[in-house]
Amino acid sequence: MRSWTDLGSLLAFRAAGLRGRARRVVPGALALLACLTVAAAVVPAHLPEQSLGRADARAALPSLLLSLLVVAVLSAAASGGGRELLPHEQGVAFPVGATTDHLGALLLAPLNIAWLLQAWAALAATSYVAGPGGHLLAAVAVPTAWLLAATACAQAVGWAVEWVRRGPRGVLAVRLAGLLAAAGAVALLVTGTLADVLRAAPTEAVARAADAGAHGRWGPWALTTATLLALAVAAVAVGARLAGRVARRPAREELRAETAVRPARPDPASDLLALLRTDRAGIWRSVPMRRGAFVLAVLPGLVALGGSFGWDSLGVLPALVASGGALLFGVNAWCLDGRGALWRESLPVSPALTFVSRAVVLGEVLLGSSVLTLVLASLRAGVPTASQAVAVLCAMVVVVVQVVATALTWSVRHPSAVHLRSARATPAPPLVMVGYSARLAVATTFTGLTFDLAGGLSWVWPLLLAAPYLLWSGLKLRRTARAWAAPVTRARVVVTVAS
Amino acid sequence: MSAAPCPAVDVSGLRVRFGSVEAVAGIDLRVAPGTATALLGRNGAGKSTTMRVLAGVVPPTEGRVLVAGHDVRTETLAVRHETGYCPDVGGLVPRATPWEHLQLSARLRRMPAGWQDRARELLDRFELGGARNRVTAGFSHGMGRRMSVVLAAFHRPPVLLLDEPFDGVDPLGVEATLEVVADARAAGAAVLVSTHLRELAVEACQQAVVLRGGAAVARTSAADLAGEDGAGAYRALLD
Repeated sequence: MRSWTDLGSLLAFRAAGLRGRARRVVPGALALLACLTVAAAVVPAHLPEQSLGRADARAALPSLLLSLLVVAVLSAAASGGGRELLPHEQGVAFPVGATTDHLGALLLAPLNIAWLLQAWAALAATSYVAGPGGHLLAAVAVPTAWLLAATACAQAVGWAVEWVRRGPRGVLAVRLAGLLAAAGAVALLVTGTLADVLRAAPTEAVARAADAGAHGRWGPWALTTATLLALAVAAVAVGARLAGRVARRPAREELRAETAVRPARPDPASDLLALLRTDRAGIWRSVPMRRGAFVLAVLPGLVALGGSFGWDSLGVLPALVASGGALLFGVNAWCLDGRGALWRESLPVSPALTFVSRAVVLGEVLLGSSVLTLVLASLRAGVPTASQAVAVLCAMVVVVVQVVATALTWSVRHPSAVHLRSARATPAPPLVMVGYSARLAVATTFTGLTFDLAGGLSWVWPLLLAAPYLLWSGLKLRRTARAWAAPVTRARVVVTVAS
Repeated sequence: MSAAPCPAVDVSGLRVRFGSVEAVAGIDLRVAPGTATALLGRNGAGKSTTMRVLAGVVPPTEGRVLVAGHDVRTETLAVRHETGYCPDVGGLVPRATPWEHLQLSARLRRMPAGWQDRARELLDRFELGGARNRVTAGFSHGMGRRMSVVLAAFHRPPVLLLDEPFDGVDPLGVEATLEVVADARAAGAAVLVSTHLRELAVEACQQAVVLRGGAAVARTSAADLAGEDGAGAYRALLD
């Protein structure tokens, strides 16, 4: 009970910290998310049968529910147990218990665009399957209970993974487990046994219970819903215990990285190389950023590899990877300097060069991840036509430049003081991250799809299509570089990130 | 009769506003080469903002600010070449090592070959030689402060700006910082030290300027603020 009270206090503390425009935007954004969720659960039921029939939606429902669990587990495990309601640096002065921390992470779990999209898809599919004549409320209650249970279980798994990772040889154990899981998933996809596994998955029972609710068969409906709710409660309790265990173990990998000895290298040969070296250190010496870049590069590639994506649909992959990569640090790129930002700003170097350096390192991360993803995806995609190859390459370059331009614009406009020492930290507040990720995903997916379409034409078309995109992003970059060059703007950014 | 030396720091009517908040409300300040001046005052008096303006990090909203003869508004890069700045918070890039900080500074400041000897000497003086290749994220607060002083003094700047250099620093680090200030003065540099530690300010500096509410309320010899009488006089200036 004490933890729930503390959670309320922390929420009130965060709400009180909202200033100016954020005070108006945050309630509006939360209301919008709630409206979209209700709409996803209600509107599809009243739609007439589409080309994707109700039977097709019913067949896809177990996979959608299972995907949500996978997304929730990956998010919780990759973020070291889940997001922090109160950043560690701010929370040290308060006696925030592990259970409160766990409840806060659970509360923040849905503020993740991947989770939201899966949840909306599952609710919409259930609603569509139930149709206008069914008991809609009863039908959607089942996937709602599943959302609660899956998220709570995923959170507990996230803490368990973090507990193992912090133990002796934990990093190795987690990496091996991750590799085995990825290999298993690929094997299922390659051998064509995924459909059988999905049919045997417990989510089929959840989908059947939703059917039962829609048709008024209350016995199986009540039993499944109650079981899911009980599972959610149990998972919350188990997660709280695991969070307590995690809190008692030091974060070895992060501590090792923070105290590591790095042998001196030769002096840099130019100003730009000197700046790049410092900026790259900020990324590649950070455990959460290294891990995030690796996961982003490998996971979509493995999915594409297993799913045998053709070259005609690979253009969307760099779009997903680049927009995800920007969320690691790019949307608040100056925070890499942390409290050293004031000292760096006192060095005699042109602001244009520091801007170029930051754009280059962000571009490198996005491009490197995209290339790795495409290499993995291309292994089973066959031989592309010249047009398809050009289209995919153009898509990759265009989305990387597009994302760099957008992320740096946000970095200059809305800097935040975050130190990104822990995997649980995000470069911007959680709700802002939802907005960023949604906007990046929509823009880059659209770009990727246009190149997939252009790949079906002559090889000249993707090149012609790339030109206006690059011009637009180039102009955006130039505008942001000019904003950064203004001393008042730069002082605001630097003082904010160093605070 | 010889003319008074041209001040290395010449500030008149400095104002800095952040939105509706006026952090500095009309400060006049002059620091001659070869002298050290203490900036004293309570939290929020405008000390750190003044230092940031002098370092070319924050632009002035109003007023004229000349550092080593350069206007901070129009010749910001020249000002940064001539100053060495130890910021009040942090001051170190978290995932870079001390040596990498020094390499970056040497490169951007166009320091001649042989800068490594000066770097090693300073690191040893501040007992950071053994940690020169360690990532600074794991440094204690005191180590971070000492390293910030090293970075500020490294290129022997004509204007040395030390904001809270003694904060959380052990006695040996304090001693090394006092030596750096003395060496800089002896080499003809103008030194500004912002601190809450009155006794150390008296030890390091000849002049003192007391700020209150963003404006200077007293300019005095640092010796006047020494001892119990000085403490009483200083206390009276804070309210």
